[in-house]
Amino acid sequence: MIWIVKNRIGQAALAKTTILLSVVFFLCAFAVDTSAQRSFSRTYPTGQDIRLQLMNRTGTVTVEGWNRPEISIRASMDAPTANIVPQSLSGMILINLVRDNKGRDVGNVNFLIRVPYNAKVDIETKIGNLIVSNVSSGLVRAYISSEGDITLTNIASSAVSAENGLGDIFFDGEIQEEGNYRFSSMRGNINLRIPFTSSFKLVATAPSTRSISLGEFANSNMSFVGDGRRVSGRFGSGSATLTVTNQRGSIGFIRR
Amino acid sequence: MNCDECKNLISVFMDSELAEPQASAVQMHLAACSDCALVCADLSSILDVCITESPSEIVPPNSQALWCRINNIIENEKAAPPPPAEQPRGRFWQLSFGQLSAAVLCIAVISSLLTFVTISNYTQPAAADFTTRSAATQTTFEKVLSKVGLMETPQQARETRLKEQQAAIDYWNARVQTRRTQWNHITRDAFDRNLQAIDESVNDYTMILQKDPDDELSGEMLDTVLNDKMNLLRDFSDL
Repeated sequence: MIWIVKNRIGQAALAKTTILLSVVFFLCAFAVDTSAQRSFSRTYPTGQDIRLQLMNRTGTVTVEGWNRPEISIRASMDAPTANIVPQSLSGMILINLVRDNKGRDVGNVNFLIRVPYNAKVDIETKIGNLIVSNVSSGLVRAYISSEGDITLTNIASSAVSAENGLGDIFFDGEIQEEGNYRFSSMRGNINLRIPFTSSFKLVATAPSTRSISLGEFANSNMSFVGDGRRVSGRFGSGSATLTVTNQRGSIGFIRR
Repeated sequence: MNCDECKNLISVFMDSELAEPQASAVQMHLAACSDCALVCADLSSILDVCITESPSEIVPPNSQALWCRINNIIENEKAAPPPPAEQPRGRFWQLSFGQLSAAVLCIAVISSLLTFVTISNYTQPAAADFTTRSAATQTTFEKVLSKVGLMETPQQARETRLKEQQAAIDYWNARVQTRRTQWNHITRDAFDRNLQAIDESVNDYTMILQKDPDDELSGEMLDTVLNDKMNLLRDFSDL
């Protein structure tokens, strides 16, 4: 009798343990599935004149220049994973996640792309950070539709454009003669670190904060207009054009 | 028979003095030609009046005095000296082909030069910037053009531009509203935060411009933030 009772208690405990273990296993498996990241990797050989054009939805895009005649694209994707369909057109690598995932909910896609130093870089995202470094081509364009920081370091391009909504913009690079440089933010800090040997015409506007710090670049050719909301003038011979607008943030110049 | 021959014979035909073959030819032509038939009808009605009305009704009363007045007028016109200035004036404006060509060439060159000079001066404020300018910085030429209605004043230009931008914003906003239910909360929150920041700036510049319509910088910034708003809406409408 006692043996029967013990046996029944043992069976009940075993059943409970089994159920509990099943639940734990299911939860663990589900958790692993939801946090899973998928990756994407592809490499394209390039010619002399190459352009990278990327339109991301959400996530961080990092573009680095390297000394190889090829473009390497690596991406890690959060669930729900996005479709990535790069196109290799004549002289251009095009990745358009907006078009390729239209009407779908997709998770973050973080890119790490390596391009030849002389590659033109044109990257966009709806939300997320954009980072470009070591590029000395004719074009660097970084555009964020809403929020995210833009960091451009070691850039020696003749045309640079960085534009975001909410977020900081940092540029560390050279100002080329006859070059065109445009930085624009809705709210954030814009900091430009450029060599003292640069020469440019400047129009810097910070209408709300009036916080425009020229640092060592202040000279008699620069003048504040509109009650200090704008600085315009010339530094050096003024061959390049530099336009900086920050609607609700500050603008700062740092000597490189 | 053609029309000219018919018209020559029609009077004789109506007096019934034509020979039979000619009369029948006229009759056939009248049957075929509506113009000649009309002439015949007119002539016939005149003849009818002459026949039916009494001479006193056809001839005006005191016809003698009427003829006297007509004679006097004719005599006076004969006696009057010819107008002296008419002939030289006519000769003055008679230009040779070469003179006319030279005049046209001169007008073309002068108008081209004027246009060139005007456009060169006018490119100082770019057309796109005109919406953000104030009346204070208008050139005299622009003021004159504005006054005669050939050009918009900066305020009118700004209002027109604002209307265009608002129309575009409404269009993209309608598209965004249909799409945003499919966005995840991260996208929705980011979009709303950015839109709010832009709207704050729009309100700030609008208030400044209401107080000081000549504040060019605020006009320019308002134009910029409205463009930013349009771009934000457009960018998110395809998600």
